[in-house]
Amino acid sequence: MIGIPLHHYLVVGAVLFCLGLIGFLTRRNLIIMFLCAEMMLQGVAINLVAFARFRGNLQGQAFTLFILTVAACEAAIALALILMLFKRRGSLDVSLWQDLREAGQEENVDEEPLPTAPTAVPDPVLTPSGLEPAHRQETTHV
Amino acid sequence: MSDMYAYLWLIPTLPLLASAATALLGPKVLRQHSHWPCVLAVAGSCVLAVLAFAQSYGHEHAHSHLYFTLFQAGQVHVDFALRGDSLTQIMLVMVTFIGTLIAIFAAGYMDGDPGYPRFFASVALFIAAMTLLVLGDNLVLLYAGWEGVGLCSYLLIGFWFTKPAAADAARKAFLVTRIGDAGFMLGILLVWASFGYHLDYDGIFREVQRQYDAGQLDPNLIFWVCFLLFCGAAGKSAQFPLHVWLPDAMEGPTPVSALIHAATMVTAGVYLVARFTPLFVLSPGAQLLVASIGGFTALFAALIALTQNDLKRVLAYSTLSQLGYMFLALGSAVREEGGSKANTLTTFAVAAALFHLFTHAFFKALLFLSAGSVMHAMGNVIDMRRFGGLRKVLPHTHWTFLCGALALAGVPLLSGFWSKDEILDATYEASHTHGAYSGFYLLLFAAGLVTAALTAFYTFRVYFMTFWGELRVPPEAGQHGDDAHGHHEPAAHRQRDVEPHHPPGQGQAHESPYLMTVPLMVLAVFALFVGIVLGPLTGNSFAHFLQETLTHEPYGFGEIPHAMNFAMMGVSSVLALGGIALAYYFYVAQPLLPRKLATQMQSLYQLSLNKFYIDELYQAIFLKPLHAVTRFAKTLDQYGIDSVVDLIGQTPRLLGGLFQPVQNGLVQYYALTMMVGLVVFLIALIRNL
Repeated sequence: MIGIPLHHYLVVGAVLFCLGLIGFLTRRNLIIMFLCAEMMLQGVAINLVAFARFRGNLQGQAFTLFILTVAACEAAIALALILMLFKRRGSLDVSLWQDLREAGQEENVDEEPLPTAPTAVPDPVLTPSGLEPAHRQETTHV
Repeated sequence: MSDMYAYLWLIPTLPLLASAATALLGPKVLRQHSHWPCVLAVAGSCVLAVLAFAQSYGHEHAHSHLYFTLFQAGQVHVDFALRGDSLTQIMLVMVTFIGTLIAIFAAGYMDGDPGYPRFFASVALFIAAMTLLVLGDNLVLLYAGWEGVGLCSYLLIGFWFTKPAAADAARKAFLVTRIGDAGFMLGILLVWASFGYHLDYDGIFREVQRQYDAGQLDPNLIFWVCFLLFCGAAGKSAQFPLHVWLPDAMEGPTPVSALIHAATMVTAGVYLVARFTPLFVLSPGAQLLVASIGGFTALFAALIALTQNDLKRVLAYSTLSQLGYMFLALGSAVREEGGSKANTLTTFAVAAALFHLFTHAFFKALLFLSAGSVMHAMGNVIDMRRFGGLRKVLPHTHWTFLCGALALAGVPLLSGFWSKDEILDATYEASHTHGAYSGFYLLLFAAGLVTAALTAFYTFRVYFMTFWGELRVPPEAGQHGDDAHGHHEPAAHRQRDVEPHHPPGQGQAHESPYLMTVPLMVLAVFALFVGIVLGPLTGNSFAHFLQETLTHEPYGFGEIPHAMNFAMMGVSSVLALGGIALAYYFYVAQPLLPRKLATQMQSLYQLSLNKFYIDELYQAIFLKPLHAVTRFAKTLDQYGIDSVVDLIGQTPRLLGGLFQPVQNGLVQYYALTMMVGLVVFLIALIRNL
């Protein structure tokens, strides 16, 4: 542990942060974007922990605990929000929400269509033996 | 007896409470009973006023009662003090008594109007303000009442505010009187600043007298003080340059015309000048101004009244003319050159003015209410050319109108005769003093005589045109009474909109209900006999009561001599009877003659019919230039000031337009912007380090 100098940790943190940033800027899936944001947070947290370790006090670690708590809360809110957004538009594509732009702006239209999602292979259905049990038809939109 | 003064405050308070109650409860709770608070409160005030009068009559009594200090700041000291001297009590009894009768009449007249509660709330408020005006012991309370009656006048003239003519008339009345009130306000301030910072009457009069005795009184100052006070009086009492609002004020309901624009509010100016007689006698120039404005208005309005065809407008011009008489008398209250303060003519002239005010209130209110009764029966038609010969159809109204007309014309022994005679007498006396302007007063006296004859003529012209000759009834007649409850629009509007349901005929025109005719009869009795009972023939008790105040401190004028001028009575009787006879000859014996005369003297006729083009003159002199100024100001505002303001508003908009594309709705762009911003910030930070 002693042998690993500080800048190694900082590089790891920076790499994590940049990966998260690039993911956030390039992906359109809301959940992926959320996870990328989390990754950026973790990159910062590594920085703090590393500094705390090398300075020999606990301030950075305490701060990291707060970051984790806030990230947990954020996850709860963000996932709930994403759920609602999905219910509204039936998709996780964030560009479907660009009608929230300033009035009078042009809409950004994709130049080439998105690759269609692979059609889900239907679950194998077993032929029921005996009486089919009465079950409620449950509809979910998730 | 001084205990009655402790209750004087109730006199304005009762109608004020009634007004508040009617305004709050009227539309939802009281509805068709909205007249009760007003009638009861005004009647209660009347009883209190009469009681106060009865207690003080013939007794030495204190002048005023101090309740509490309203406010005090530096040199300004204003008390809530009410004054109960004879001048006030005469006004008070007159205002509350006539107010009660008119409120009762209005309960019948306004029946079925959708604004019924609003009407009685305004009337009660008016009575409260008017009694405060005459009761107040200082200029601030007087001014409060003064503006209060102005407000109520505005509200009541514009009572049928959906009618443009009424709304315009209300605005005109308010603005024209405002011109006078501005002068009055300046007058109050000048009095305050010049005479020892007093605002109470006694203090002002004592200080003026002290300065006069010490020879420190500047004649110019006293003239300007009187001039400014008279500005207010002329505005409120509709004297010549500011008279234009009163005829238009006839757009209001007729009881309002009777109460405010004949009997009470318009006499506030007379009261003001009478109250400030001690100042006016010190300035012969101001008195001449008052007398000449009064005399001129009397003659001028009488000439206009000769040719008007609107029943109420004739009465309105007659009111102007009679108010002019009162000011003529007040202006005649001169004192001898170098004479002592104990001058008898001053007392006599002021008493004459107040006596005429008193009698005029009765017979003019009577005439207006009778005209209202005629309107009521004729379905709100007021043009005298459209009806006639109503003697048989409206017997009660006919007799009461006749009583009022006889009193106004000055037929011997009736009330108008005595008071008008005293005014002429006072003017004649003024022309025989050794003042600087005595010759001018002779001219005014002549104008007064001519006016007396004209008054008799135009009054009986109206009377004969309305009640004599062939029976003619307009098709609108009878709608008011029959359909009033079915329609939810003001009665005055109905005549234009609704086709007549009934065939025209006298069957539809009916006498007014007793609720309306009984007040008329009471007023008629007073119009006939108030002059003879209180006048010079039976000991002149009115003047003696009034001179209790005028001969005491701080007024201190001489007592009235016990002499009757029989020659003057003879002359004015001949003039009055001559005017009536001429009217009979013109409008009953030779009904075609007036038209022939009108065509022969077309220019004079048009001059009188168009009210000497005063309104058109004001339009050209004041309103046209004012319109030009407003147009210029509007242009300046639109293109000068507005463009600067617009420029200031456009700058952020243009700047915002530069950055607007950033907000394109894609979250990634926002994040990228933040990122770029952060990088720029970090680079700046590092470079600085």
